[in-house]
Amino acid sequence: MNQAPVSCIPTQSKMSKAKKVLEESREIQNPELDLADKNVSTFEEMPGLLNMTYVTRLTLSHNKIKVVPPGLANLINLEILNFSNNQIEELPLSLSSMPKLRILNLSINRLFTLPRGFGAFPALEVLDLTYNNLKDDSLPGNFFMMETLRALYLGDNDFEHLPADIKNLKNLQILVLRENDIVELPSEIGELTRLRELHLQGNRLTILPPELGNLDMASQKAVFKFEGNEWVEQIKDQLQLGVSHLMDYLKSDTYRMLYKRYITNKPPPPPPCVDKSKKISRIR
Amino acid sequence: MWNIKDKSPDVPVMGDFKDGKLFLRRKHQHDGSYKKFEDIDYSPVEISKPEVVGEKNVTKWITNMSRDNMACARCGDGFGAQEKIVNSTGQLWHQQCFVCAQCFQEFPNGIFYEYDGRKYCEHDFQVLFAPCCNKCNSFIIGRVIKAMNASWHPEHFLCQMCDMELAETGFIKNGGRALCHECNAKIKAQGLGKYVCHKCHSLIDDQPLKFRGEMYHPYHFNCTACGVELDGNAREVRNRSGFAKNDMNELYCLRCHDKMGIPICGACRRPIEERVVTALGKHWHVEHFVCAKCEKPFLGHRHYEKKGLAYCETHYHQLFGNLCHVCNQVIGGDVFTALNKAWCVHHFACSVCDQKMNQKTKFYECDLKPVCKKCYEKFPNELRRRLRRQHEATPKKAGTPV
Ligand SMILES: [Zn+2]
Ligand SMILES: [Zn+2]
Ligand SMILES: [Zn+2]
Ligand SMILES: [Zn+2]
Ligand SMILES: [Zn+2]
Ligand SMILES: [Zn+2]
Ligand SMILES: [Zn+2]
Ligand SMILES: [Zn+2]
Repeated sequence: MNQAPVSCIPTQSKMSKAKKVLEESREIQNPELDLADKNVSTFEEMPGLLNMTYVTRLTLSHNKIKVVPPGLANLINLEILNFSNNQIEELPLSLSSMPKLRILNLSINRLFTLPRGFGAFPALEVLDLTYNNLKDDSLPGNFFMMETLRALYLGDNDFEHLPADIKNLKNLQILVLRENDIVELPSEIGELTRLRELHLQGNRLTILPPELGNLDMASQKAVFKFEGNEWVEQIKDQLQLGVSHLMDYLKSDTYRMLYKRYITNKPPPPPPCVDKSKKISRIR
Repeated sequence: MWNIKDKSPDVPVMGDFKDGKLFLRRKHQHDGSYKKFEDIDYSPVEISKPEVVGEKNVTKWITNMSRDNMACARCGDGFGAQEKIVNSTGQLWHQQCFVCAQCFQEFPNGIFYEYDGRKYCEHDFQVLFAPCCNKCNSFIIGRVIKAMNASWHPEHFLCQMCDMELAETGFIKNGGRALCHECNAKIKAQGLGKYVCHKCHSLIDDQPLKFRGEMYHPYHFNCTACGVELDGNAREVRNRSGFAKNDMNELYCLRCHDKMGIPICGACRRPIEERVVTALGKHWHVEHFVCAKCEKPFLGHRHYEKKGLAYCETHYHQLFGNLCHVCNQVIGGDVFTALNKAWCVHHFACSVCDQKMNQKTKFYECDLKPVCKKCYEKFPNELRRRLRRQHEATPKKAGTPV
């Protein structure tokens, strides 16, 4: 009986692009792992990855990952974790215990919620949640306990309010709320004394808390973005003159009184102004 | 699509207007612009002469008087024999004509406020005229303290050092702060480089003695160990556990103190009883280990050392370079600056795929983060369309490569 010949050529050519990168990386013990745009859908396609504890940066942008396994937290030396443009709907809580994680990019995913206790990161400095489906009740109670946070990107989500707890983010320098449905800001935002970038474009804001005037938003090193809101005339007039005029105006007695009266009367907020129904993050 | 139409009315809606006429009347009365409400001129009043804005009144009725030749101040008609007549500041009204100038309703419980010859119900008076307390931000009815360019409830105008009420005692303006007389004296003493003794309240001319956070003439105390009367060289020592922090401190003369062996602060040369900071090869009081530029204590925050001096992050950054947006470290070599940020050579990369970029790389911008061309093209079409529109709407700063 003749058997069919068995090939002895290695199956290298059939190996996925991701596997190849992992193998090469293991050979040279490269701590920075680039797996962007490798057509990966699950972590099973990256065998051995969760044991490569020497890795400090893991970039998985532009893949099709839906599920993040809790075992990812084994990578205890990870400082930068980038999941930008995947299809993640849920995260494991274990992520928050990663001791050295400083930069976490979850932009362009399908998050409707964050796990309870998510704010427990001991060293997180930059958190990018741009372009998900997060709203007021998506954030766990300890979200604003991340004192080490320098930059918080929440643009392109569905928030209507920012909690007063934002004041706990004492080191925050960058806060992006672009194109949410924000109807008002808490006065506590005035306690973020290190803030030097504030993006408020495309929300439903009409008025600003006088305490915002405490921030140094008119300085050379600061950026204040405000377009696409339905500001009351008085604020609109000041913005036309410049941000420094607005900041001075917010500090004035005149404005305090205007604000007080406005808040007492509480006119209904303007309707949403950005059509986000076509966002790909909406796909379920 | 952006939808940037301003829908706020010319006159902000104040209160609950159901009647179109009311709205018109308001417009006329106040020139139709909101500003006018703010411009109401309360004449400045000295603190010794408190002003009462809008006297609170209670409706008075006339019962047994001749009603001939009497007419209602509003409608001009006479009064019926049994009719109730309202009497206020010499004028008479039908009950139904005696109403708030704003809402035309009768005054709840007969309480109204007069201002500028008009009468208002409490609600409308507050909304229209009552000044706002600079401390608690609520309306002030009754006595208003006008001081330091703001209005205050009498119980909310306080000494900015000791929180004592100033409405009765008056205040002294010192360096933009309102102070009570005692605190002002303290500041004055400090200006002379001197202190006021916490025990006898007189100026301390010689070296003062600090004890439990206050300054004293040393001669008010004796050494805990040997009992000798103390001088300015005496030392405060924390030595007994189990008590509250301030109750643990005791005073010793220099001789008794030196027998105890305690680390000395590199700044003030005084002993360190509480937490010791060790840095730059010396010991420091927590509050004496400060930035060489701004002299603010680090209090456990990160500091940067350079040539034997310590700096806070801000000032190290300001004096010696930028912090990298990714590693948050001071940038030693070449610096990339763009999008209101700086990067070290190792970390200037696309924010989406982490691929390194250089001076020549063209990149896009999203929320002031750099995005390489390849990544930008992978963004959802819908997002790219919005970002593009936003870019067209925003005036571009020179030097932002796109
Ligand atoms: Zn009224
Ligand atoms: Zn008050
Ligand atoms: Zn004394
Ligand atoms: Zn002694
Ligand atoms: Zn010292
Ligand atoms: Zn400093
Ligand atoms: Zn860096
Ligand atoms: Zn990229």
